[in-house]
Amino acid sequence: MNAPLTMLWLTPLAGAAVCAFLARYGALFFSMLFAGLVAGVACGQSSGGVLSVVNELGPVWAYGISYRLSADSLSIGLIALTAFLNLICVAASWELEVPAGYWACFMALASALTGVFLARDLFFFYVFWEATLIPMFFIIGLWGSSNRLHAAVKFFLFTFAGSVFMLLALLALVSAHHRITGVWTWDLAALDATTLGPVAPLVFWGLIAGFAVKIPMFPLHTWLPDAHTEAPAAGSVMLAGVMLKMGVYGLLRVALPLFPTLSFEALPILGGLAAFSTIYGALCAMAQTDLKRMIAYSSIAHLGFCLLGVLSRTSQGLTGGTLQLINHGLTTGALFLMVGFLYERAHKRGLSDFGDLATRAPYLAFFFGFSTLASIGLPGLNGFVGEFMALSGALSVLPILAFAGVLGVTLAAAYALPAFQAVFWAPAGPGSVSAKVTDLNRRERAVLWTLSLLMLWIGLAPRPWLAYFEPALRGLVR
Amino acid sequence: MTAAQVPWAAWLLFAAPVAAILIGFFGFRRFKPEWTHLPILASCAVVTASAFWLAAHVYTGHSFDLNLFRFAEAGDWAVDFGLRVDGPGVAVLAMVSFVGSLIHLYAAGYMKGDPGFSRFFLVFHLFFLAMIGLLTANNFVQLYLFWELVGVASYLLVGYWFHKETARKAALKAFLTNRVGDFGLLLAVLLIVLQFKITHFHLLYLKAASGATFELLPVIGFLLVWAACAKSAQFPLYFWLPDAMEGPTPTSALMHAATMVTAGVFLLVRSWPLISLVEGLPHLIAWIGAVTALGAAVVAGTKKDLKRILAYSTVSHLGLMMLALGLGQIATALFHLIVHGFFKAALFLCAGNIAHALHQPTANVDDVGGLQKSMRLTYLSFLLAALSLAGVFPLGGFFSKDAILDAAWHHGGALAVMGMLVAAGSAFYIFRMLFLAFYGARPEQKQAPHAHEAEPILGVPVLFLALGAAAAGLLKEPVERFVLMGWRGMPSGLAGLDLVLNLPGEPVLPHLNMTVAVLGTAMAALGAFAAWRLTMSDPGFDWRWRGGAAEAVFESDFGWKTLVDAFVRGVSRLAGFTGRVLDKGGVDGAVEGSAGFVRAAGAAIARSAQGRINDYLWWMLAGTAILLLRVLR
Amino acid sequence: MNLTAVVWATTGALFSFGLAIVVFRRQLLAMLLGLELMLAAVNVSLVHHAGLFNDAEALAVVALVIAVAAAEAVVGLSLILRMRRGGRGADAALLTELQG
Repeated sequence: MNAPLTMLWLTPLAGAAVCAFLARYGALFFSMLFAGLVAGVACGQSSGGVLSVVNELGPVWAYGISYRLSADSLSIGLIALTAFLNLICVAASWELEVPAGYWACFMALASALTGVFLARDLFFFYVFWEATLIPMFFIIGLWGSSNRLHAAVKFFLFTFAGSVFMLLALLALVSAHHRITGVWTWDLAALDATTLGPVAPLVFWGLIAGFAVKIPMFPLHTWLPDAHTEAPAAGSVMLAGVMLKMGVYGLLRVALPLFPTLSFEALPILGGLAAFSTIYGALCAMAQTDLKRMIAYSSIAHLGFCLLGVLSRTSQGLTGGTLQLINHGLTTGALFLMVGFLYERAHKRGLSDFGDLATRAPYLAFFFGFSTLASIGLPGLNGFVGEFMALSGALSVLPILAFAGVLGVTLAAAYALPAFQAVFWAPAGPGSVSAKVTDLNRRERAVLWTLSLLMLWIGLAPRPWLAYFEPALRGLVR
Repeated sequence: MTAAQVPWAAWLLFAAPVAAILIGFFGFRRFKPEWTHLPILASCAVVTASAFWLAAHVYTGHSFDLNLFRFAEAGDWAVDFGLRVDGPGVAVLAMVSFVGSLIHLYAAGYMKGDPGFSRFFLVFHLFFLAMIGLLTANNFVQLYLFWELVGVASYLLVGYWFHKETARKAALKAFLTNRVGDFGLLLAVLLIVLQFKITHFHLLYLKAASGATFELLPVIGFLLVWAACAKSAQFPLYFWLPDAMEGPTPTSALMHAATMVTAGVFLLVRSWPLISLVEGLPHLIAWIGAVTALGAAVVAGTKKDLKRILAYSTVSHLGLMMLALGLGQIATALFHLIVHGFFKAALFLCAGNIAHALHQPTANVDDVGGLQKSMRLTYLSFLLAALSLAGVFPLGGFFSKDAILDAAWHHGGALAVMGMLVAAGSAFYIFRMLFLAFYGARPEQKQAPHAHEAEPILGVPVLFLALGAAAAGLLKEPVERFVLMGWRGMPSGLAGLDLVLNLPGEPVLPHLNMTVAVLGTAMAALGAFAAWRLTMSDPGFDWRWRGGAAEAVFESDFGWKTLVDAFVRGVSRLAGFTGRVLDKGGVDGAVEGSAGFVRAAGAAIARSAQGRINDYLWWMLAGTAILLLRVLR
Repeated sequence: MNLTAVVWATTGALFSFGLAIVVFRRQLLAMLLGLELMLAAVNVSLVHHAGLFNDAEALAVVALVIAVAAAEAVVGLSLILRMRRGGRGADAALLTELQG
């Protein structure tokens, strides 16, 4: 194959088509094929342990739009996360009674996400970016829980509105570039935003609006709790695990390289919002009575740490923030899956609907406790490494941000542990549905073991992971 | 030195517990849960042997410190993990492994037949492992890792009987309070990375001793003290410890004697070369220690639950260690930590034996009295440990407490007076407990005819611990030597460490100041006499004085608990406001409101369109006419 | 008075009649007739002007318009038939589904 990167996003798309006939078997086969292909690309392109940049160019069309893919370790890392979580999702929803479209949507989502991480032409970047919305809209709207339509529409409109700002910014960027240089191009590497003059802040903030909605950053976050709560478990996993990462990826790939000075000048505002998100997300999570909503709010806090690291533009901050993207995908993914398992069994999600599950479902209690600890940043598990490095980066740039971030770390325990206790330790109250909860079966345990061992690995020996991402981020260090 | 030259014993410290936990978790827990303790007890034996071997190794001048692998790295930012086996670490390690192993043995008997036996032992051993890791860490990040692991293991153990609401609440309180302390430690570690670019203890000592000024050092030092206050249960963050006795008794014993609360003191010992450079900070530590020690000693004298008395006693003794630290007496603090480990473990296990004899999770002074006759071995152990705690010559507690009082006496002023008062208070509460539980059987107390001596697996470890508490005075010289070797005896020959030892403040003290020894013993005698007066010669007193304002004052720890509760309520109210009002009504309300606005506007416009084709045709005609006009003009 | 003026007057009148029928009548069949009338008027005008300017393309458009008119009649008639079958008569005022 001469076009491995194109194959990378076409494979899951082909899988989506095949799913229409083969349903779950097609999904399983193609997500395994996809994961294998990602692994192949990752191994094939690495030389001396460092992933070299691969490019794939196509023809140039009108207005300088060109088909242009490229992969460095950041791209491949996030694509690997996509492929891995996609496989996990397929395995986790294996026994669901769902039509073929469900599986097709997941494969299509994986394809679009891969496209986002590969595209180096801003037009294609935008197209893939928006394409992710369609399968996710159906996943939430068709297979979600009771209030799914409202959540799906809210998710779509909210994130779409953010993307419109991004589109306007991109159009302004490209046309301003054309006006100044006389060249039409959407190529990320060729665009130079430093000559834009007065348009530059508009373009920058337009891009930020698009990314901030996806991340999501306070105050643009309110689509997230609804979408997560109503989405089916696997949908939440993909949403939290990969889709939220698009926002940070956009910052790393587009906003920071194009606007090195502006992004640094905006640090007090953006970093302040990120640091505030960590505390705000934690406080909101404390007030929730729905398990899934609580995890959703905790995502806002976690992504705040990623942002703090990335925005600090220090070596440790960027690398730690990026690793935190992966960490959050694994940890929150595992938590959402387990809430999904609970919901499949008992059709409830409230904290007070359960109790005493530690005796009834010890495996579930073990994995949930493990993932909870990872999510509150227990050293030795993955969350700590990312948080620590991100905060270390933030501290060297704007100490007050790190101070707020550490407060957020402290608060994390204040929402996660009471929730764990309410579900697993407290005695089952009247009206509790704990009796319906059976312990995890082999398939579910295998899925969670995989995730847990990865968490442990990153927590104990994060160095290979950091070394993998670091070269791709070196250029962003201030 | 390379990794290959690290003695086997050092590897075994980690390999044995990890292997035991893995075997227990994947093997015994599934197939033979009631045997889970076997690999773990074997691991305890290995760890104790290794720890003693290492102690001997270090004592003969072979301490070492080396980086084993790079934990994390990005650009010029890096954190290495390694192993530091030096005097202070190994001195505490030897005590922790010995006392901890005896408690493990005791737990095998105490927890027998409990449905969660296997889970208990796995977490218990994890707790132990975490403390070993903490004591052998060679940098702050690694220390933080094990520090948190200690916290998690204690959380799981305090909440072990999670069906009890009190246990759940106590576990949460312990973890969250520690988390508040960890806020300090995490920030301190981050600031250390920022200020010094390294976290390695030894290199930090060198940098700190280089004479350069580090503007962040005061903040770092203060945060470290804050963290130690939470872990070592000092004012203002002490309040979680008395509640933490909701866990099974072996947990309390391990937590109070060996693995948890000593971590804070140890953290300060480890970072002493940094803290001592901060003007006024040692003084603050001394004051925190003195205030905590005195307050907790007073409150301990009013409690009814046996384990709660001991818990406040721990707070008080940790305060004494802090006092010694604050006065620059690191060796004295560590010595008291070790002696305290022995007598406190023995006392807790005695309380456990009493509860076990009554078939209750805990015992209260209302439940028992006059156990002297029915539980002779427990009585004997308790007596030895209690005398040691009260500082009676020539038991271990006398030497360690005397050294602290000596330091306070030399410092003079209020600290000296407070030290003496603590000595009296300690004697009072422990003798009160002794008299109430083992003597008499007052009319207010239930007779416990079925109380019987515990089986040997419960009795013997306690006796060993009590004997250890009695004889621990002999450890004074070795501990001092160990501490000196902590900073001077590194074989790598790093120069400049002697500078660190020139700590500001206190002069070197002569051994055994007779004035202090006599005065301290007199204070202890005074306390013991007061206890006798109020429990033996006036047996009903303890039941008479309760119920008034005085009890409320003591129950709320002089009002501090009330303040803390108010603070916690405030935070949860803030969270409720943020989540339910601000986010749902404010931020999300704006979003949903905008959708509602669009919908309402749409409905308003839709009213003009009735859906009849003819109407639309008219509109179309009008539009076309306007367009035509525009084109024709 | 030349031919062009005559054609303009005729087609204008035809178109206006068609438009009036479409706009004022509520009978669906009549509205369809009105539409066809308008199309026919345009066609006449197109044929005349094609001859006037010697333009074959206009004649092609005429063919296209005839085809469109036929197709439109097919769709329109079948819709009307469907309406009647559904027992809803052929009154345009009763069709209010377009209101949201």
